[in-house]
Formats: sequence, structure tokens, C-alpha cells
Amino acid sequence: MSDAAYGPAMNRVDTQPEAVPEPDATATSSAPPATRRARAIRTAGLWLAPVMIGLLALLFFFYYRGLQADGNSTVISALDWGDKLLPQTIRIVYIAFWSTVIVILVAVPLGIVLTRPAVRRISPFVLAVANSGQALPAYGLLVIFLGIMGQGRFTVIVALSLYALLPVLRNTMVGLDGVDRSVIEAGRGMGMTKMQALTRIELPLAVPIVIAGVRTALTLNIGMATLAFLIGGGGLGITIQTGLKLNQDPILIVGAWLVALVALSFDWLGAVAERVLKPRGL
Amino acid sequence: MENITNWFTYVNDNFEYILEETINHARIVLIVIALATVTSVLLGVLIQRRPVARAVVLALSGIVLTIPSLALFALFIPVVGIGNPPAMLALYLYALMPVLRNTVTGLDSVSPAVVESAKGMGMSSTQQLLRVRLPLAWPVIMAGVRISSLMTVGIAAIAILVGGDGLGSYIQGGLTRFGLPNSENSVWAGVVFTVLLGLVLDIAFAIFQRFSTPRGLRA
Amino acid sequence: MTTEQQSPGQQAREPKIRLDKVGKTYPGTKVAAVEELSLDIHEGEILVLVGPSGCGKSTTLRLINRMIEPSGGRILLDGEDVTKVNPDKLRRRIGYVIQQIGLFPHQTIAQNIETVPRMLGWDKQKAKARSEELLGMVGLDPERYRDSYPKALSGGQAQRVGVARALGADPDIMLMDEPFGAIDPITRERLQNEFLRLQGELRKTIVFVTHDIDEAIKMGDKIAILGERSTIRQIDTPERILAYPVDDFVDDFIGTGSTIKGLNFLKVSSLALTDYPTLEPGGTAEAGRAALQDTGREWLVQLDENRTPVRWIHADGLDSADHERGEPVGDLLHSQDTLFHALELMVQSASGETCVVDDAGAFVGVVRMADLAKAIRRAQYEARMHYEQMERQS
Ligand SMILES: Nc1ncnc2c1ncn2[C@@H]1O[C@H](COP(=O)(O)OP(=O)(O)O)[C@@H](O)[C@H]1O
Ligand SMILES: [Mg+2]
Repeated sequence: MSDAAYGPAMNRVDTQPEAVPEPDATATSSAPPATRRARAIRTAGLWLAPVMIGLLALLFFFYYRGLQADGNSTVISALDWGDKLLPQTIRIVYIAFWSTVIVILVAVPLGIVLTRPAVRRISPFVLAVANSGQALPAYGLLVIFLGIMGQGRFTVIVALSLYALLPVLRNTMVGLDGVDRSVIEAGRGMGMTKMQALTRIELPLAVPIVIAGVRTALTLNIGMATLAFLIGGGGLGITIQTGLKLNQDPILIVGAWLVALVALSFDWLGAVAERVLKPRGL
Repeated sequence: MENITNWFTYVNDNFEYILEETINHARIVLIVIALATVTSVLLGVLIQRRPVARAVVLALSGIVLTIPSLALFALFIPVVGIGNPPAMLALYLYALMPVLRNTVTGLDSVSPAVVESAKGMGMSSTQQLLRVRLPLAWPVIMAGVRISSLMTVGIAAIAILVGGDGLGSYIQGGLTRFGLPNSENSVWAGVVFTVLLGLVLDIAFAIFQRFSTPRGLRA
Repeated sequence: MTTEQQSPGQQAREPKIRLDKVGKTYPGTKVAAVEELSLDIHEGEILVLVGPSGCGKSTTLRLINRMIEPSGGRILLDGEDVTKVNPDKLRRRIGYVIQQIGLFPHQTIAQNIETVPRMLGWDKQKAKARSEELLGMVGLDPERYRDSYPKALSGGQAQRVGVARALGADPDIMLMDEPFGAIDPITRERLQNEFLRLQGELRKTIVFVTHDIDEAIKMGDKIAILGERSTIRQIDTPERILAYPVDDFVDDFIGTGSTIKGLNFLKVSSLALTDYPTLEPGGTAEAGRAALQDTGREWLVQLDENRTPVRWIHADGLDSADHERGEPVGDLLHSQDTLFHALELMVQSASGETCVVDDAGAFVGVVRMADLAKAIRRAQYEARMHYEQMERQS
């Protein structure tokens, strides 16, 4: 998991690298300089990312200005900032934000319940479902919810919440399962109740993995919010779609570029949140 | 209940066509996975022991994953035109990350003592890689391949939006004829067969993983 | 003091391995891990590198098979400078055993052992025959272990396979880096003994690294005690090092009890046994008293018909009516036994002395504490003379 301070938000719990024994017990004094350098690079990446995103935004700005100067009226009207692009961007953020909130509110408590001894037996089953749920086509899920709830952004939010539930649920369960039993034993041995062991030991230790899951959910949600237009949920997907329909690459590029900017910015926010919220000492 | 029988009738009537799109879908996924696996393993081997390259490459391939699929698909249209190519290119980029990361962690997890003794016995670095390090990292690499495969199957359903093939056509078909007879059946067929394809491929990869894992490493 | 001495007999022989001012400074570090080390290792001998953790033993060892490249100096095997040859080819000629063993978990035991032979192009049949032979040699039943995987082995068994694998292509040279360091004491002792027995037959040239002075004393034909930066503080046979540690560093390192450990290297046969009063079977109290009077001792040895010592009888106990006068003599010493063994018997003996017999079991004499002390002093004296003579020569 260590390679992901900034960047990969997907599927963070699938491989847990084992502790690698040092070649010689005497040579374990501190992390080799190379590893330290890599860590420094990742930290630098965290601060470099906004600069890169800013540069991409600047490029976008010039490209956009250029298009307006070209004076193609179809393009200009499809890409009107105040009328089209800004509201569409806000819509995507709105959808992604609320569905992520719902996901957290549902998946984390559910994950806690599913890892309690009484229901632990079914947790492998839930994990298997959560795993194969990755193959669930977001597109199809949206259309199915369209059938159930009709058009609109709320349909999108509900569909997204369900879709992004699985990674958070899975990470919560894996995170809680992964807590060293002996640590919990020690806590219980000190007289903690089950509830205290959960809130003071298990949850804090599982936090990094849960947050990683939330970041995945956020990424998925922004990706899917782009598809919201398909069922009348609006968003920047409309602009991409317009570009496709009119066979106008500039419209396509502006739409996709803006989506990418939003996604990158949010992923960066996720990375920062992950860094800030991670308990010290882990 | 009636809906479900209805759906089975629909699937039964259209089975040939659904199967054809399933095969198209599978072909896209398998080509992408094959290419992504080869690339990622090569790249993973190259970067694993180079901390700087490793941090940069992993971060970049991770960033790719955060770009929404429709946007990435669309961005390739000006480059390679409409149809399967932009979809496959985008899927390929998505599929890199899980395999790449698992190749690196897999190689990391090879015991240094084992590599030391391989070197000490006079294996060249290529022999160490091919005979020791990659075989030992293989189960972890395959786990990455399985993640990529599941993910790619799901995302490939929107290839239809950029003019590609696959089971997405059943979802889109249902959407464009929304409200008309069989539109819901069509959507469900698209979704169910996509998930089934994902499961079948996952099981196939799991079996392949088991048989391609050296016996001494199997649990 | 760094010593590079050779006994006259060895002077003529070319060393199997020669390190010539070899140095190693790891990139990014300022202090050398190995500094200008010169060292000769002769054919068929076990040289033990021993020293505190971090002093550069492993680095030194890994320089020999070029697991790491020297920063300077030459390494000669059979007189050939190997600092320029292909390192992979070089390593196939040299067995290498490490503490963590590093068996290939994805290969069977037999495949593990056949790795080097196969790389050297042996055919399957020959390699297979070799791995069977080696498994037997290290005390593992080939039938049972050939096709199993390393995970099925205990630590001790795994290290046996590690040794077998290093012996795969019958290399002349073996490098062993704390091979028994991670193994429980009882198994370690057994592996050490078996390895010494094996070495008795194979006569490999071995460089053996350990941080455990007792293991060094046990395994080494010669011991090099290393200080920081792998500088040789003393290199010699174990007995001479124990008898004459050249400085405080060595003295501290070999620790307390070194004198007593040194008794391991002295044989009963090296002692001049003192005359001792004995009592023939059926000898009277008067005969005993007469014998005691002649020698002025307190104890005499009761012999049986074969002249084998049976009991210690004290002067005060001679008159005892009891047919079984005195105390049993306990175990008897033979001339090839070590003085350490003599000491063990002595502290258990009623008289504080212990009887030596010849091969037929007949009484030869008695070893007393004073004899041990004299032997130790002589060994120390000889060692000191040896070093003084060397000093004069240089
Ligand atoms: N790969 C390396 N890079 C840098 N320094 C090293 C490396 N390996 C060992 N050292 C250093 O060199 C010195 C000698 O190490 P080593 O030969 O392993 O000692 P020993 O085997 O006697 O315990 C130590 O100070 C150790 O920290
Ligand atoms: Mg060492």
C-alpha cells in the first residue's frame, strides 16, 4: 500500500505485501537511502500535483480561449462557460459529493456489523460479492435505476451510492479483519468492553484502509457522474456527448479535459485527506 | 416473477446475438489484458529496484485510473478515431496499474535470501529474474491480472458510447428504446452478461493462476 | 598486531585463496567496510572469520565470490586473479551457504540441489545421481525428501539441503556465512559435528563466518579474529589463540574461560605422567602404607587382575575391614583424550586426580591438577615464543 500516497486510488487492499526480511540482521539500522528518496518523491508528488493540475488548467484555458477566437458558432455555443460548462461541472461535483457521503454513512457501519463475530461467517461471501461487483457496468446500473426511479440527479446519486458502496464496504471489512488479533486481545485484557475495543483499537487501526476505500469510491463516483447525462442527470457528460454527436473534436476535448481536471483535483484532495487523517504512528 | 420469466424468454430468443456481443466484449478485454500484462510486467521489472522511476511510474499509472472512463475514451477519439480503438487504448491504460503495482509488490516480496543464494550459485541477473524472481512473484502478479480483468470488463460496457462493440450495446439499446417493450430486458441482459463474463474470466484466470503457480508455492 | 605467518611446511604451498590488500567501501559510506585485507587460505583447511557483529565478516566473504565488487586489491584462487573473470562463472565454482539458507521455494529439494550442476550443463541423469548422493551425505533420506518442497522442511533440515546445494557441483571452495546461526542449539551442535565429519572426507577449502567464538574454536583449523573494518587482530590455530591472545581486544573477544577451552586442544599423551602408588589385587594394608610412604602421597590406586584401576583408597581408609575400600575411580582416561576431558573427570574424582590407562586398559599413571596447569603454562609459553620469534623475524 505504501506506493500510493499520491495516485492509485483503486483496489488498494488486494495485495498485502509481506514483511520482507533483511538480508542481514545487522544491516537493518534504518531505511536504505533509496527508499527514503522514494518516500520524499511521493511527498513531493503531493505538493507537485496541484502545480501540475494548475498547468493543465492553464493549458485548458488557452485552448478554450483559442476556440472562442476561432469563432465557430456551434462550438462557442456548446461550450458557453456560464450556461453550460460551469453548471455541468458543479453538477458532477454535487453528485459525486453526495453519493460519497451516502456511501460512507452506509458502508462503514455495515462493514463494522459484518465483521462482528456473530455474522463473521458470512463475511467471505460478502467479500466475494464485493469483489465480483467490480465487473458491474456503471452504465447498466444507471439505466436500471432509471427504470426504477425515473430521470434526474437523485436517481444518479442513489445508483452511484450503490455502485461505490462495494469498495468502501470491502475495505472496511478487510481493514477491520486485518487488525492484529493480539492487539485486540491486549485491549480486552486491560478491561476494555467490546465497544471500547472497537472504537479505540480496531477502528483507528483500520482507518488508513477505510480511507483508501473512500478515495476509490470518490474516484468511481466522479467517473460515473460523467455518465449521469445518459439518464437526464446532467453534468459534463453532456458536452462530451455533444462533441460525439456533432463530430466536433474541440467540444469533445474541452468536455473530457474539464472532467479530467475535476477528477485529478478531487483525487489530490483525497490524497491530502488520506495523509491528514491517517493516525500517527501507522 | 413474471418479469424474470419474461427476461429468460428474451435472452433465449436473442441468445445468439447476446453471445456474439459477449464474445466481442471478451475479445476486447482479453486483448487489452494480454497487452497490459506484458507491458506491466516488463515495466514492473524495470522499475522495481529503481526507487525514483518506481515512485513516478506508479503515481502516473495511478493517476490514469482516476480519470473518468468516458473522458479518457473521448480524449482518444481525435487520435485514433471512433470505434473500438479509443476504448481499447483507454482500457489498456486502466489495466496497467493493477498489474504493474502487483508486479512490483510481488517482486518486493521475494525473499532477499533466495535472490542472494541464486546469485551466489552463479545465476546471471536474467536467470535470477526468469528462474527465481518472476516465478516467486507470479501469484501476486496474477492477482493483479484478475483485478484488471474484472475492472476492464465493467468499464468496457461504455465502449458503445464511443462507437465500440460489446455488451454495452444491450444497455444502450434498452436506453434508446426506453419505455418500449423489451427495453428493460435488454438492459438487464447487458448488465447480467457483463457481470457473468467478469466472473467467468475471473474463474478462468483463477484456474490459470493455480496451474501456473509452481507447486511449492501453492497453499 | 596483524600477522601473516605460515609454518615452514606451508610456505612452499601456494594458497588456495589469497586476498591481496582487498578493500571495500560501500557507495555512500565514508568508512571502509573492509580495509586492505590480506589473507591466505590453504587447500583443505577451514578458516573461520570471527568478530563482533558489523565488523565486516560478511563483506569479506562476499568479496571472495564477488557477490560484491572490491574497491581495490586482488583476489587469487589457485594463483589466478579472479577480480576480472565473469562473476557468474566464478560463483558456480564456489559453494555458498548463508544463514537464511534461501532455498528456492518453488522448486523441489532435488531441483534445488541440481541447480548448479544443471547450469554447468550436466545431463539430467548425472545431476539426479548427484543430488541423491548429496542428500544421503547430509543425512536426509533421498526417497523421502527428493520430491518435496522446502516448506516441508524444518530449519535444521533446510540448512542440510542448503549445504547439499552448495556442494552440488563439487566445488573446491565453500563460503559459509553463519550457516548454523539461526538454528536451535541442539540441532546446531549436531549439524556442526556432521559437517566436520563430512569435511573430514571432502577436504574442501572453507571460509566460515561466525560471530560465535565457541563455534569458531570448534569448526576452525585456523581462526582469524577480526576487528573493525575487517582488520585481522589475530590469525592462528584455535589452540594458539586460546593460549596466547595477542592483545586485549582478542582477549576480551574470546572471553572468560579461554584457558579452560584451550584444554580442548591438549592431549593426555602430551603430559609426562607422574609415578603413582598402586595396590595389587589382594594387597594388604601394610603393602599400601609402604607404597604411600615411598611417594609421600595420600591416595593410592587399587588395581584389578588386569592392572585396571578400580578404586581410590585414602591413607586413612587402608585399615577398613570392608573389602570394598575407598571410592570407585570412575571413567578412565586414554592417551588420546583431551585435557578438557581430564579436567571433567578430575573434578568428579574422589582424589581430585584421574587415572590414565593404555589401550589394554592397564594403569599407566595419573593426571593431577598441577599437570594441567603445567601443560597450560607450557602451551602459553610456546605460543608466546612463537609470536616473539615471528616478531624478531619481521
Ligand atoms: N550493502 C551495504 N551498503 C552499505 N553498507 C553496508 C552494506 N552491507 C554492509 N554494510 C556495512 O558494512 C559494515 C560491515 O557489514 P557486514 O560485512 O555485514 O558485517 P558482519 O557480517 O561482520 O556483521 C557494517 O557497518 C554494515 O553496516
Ligand atoms: Mg554478517
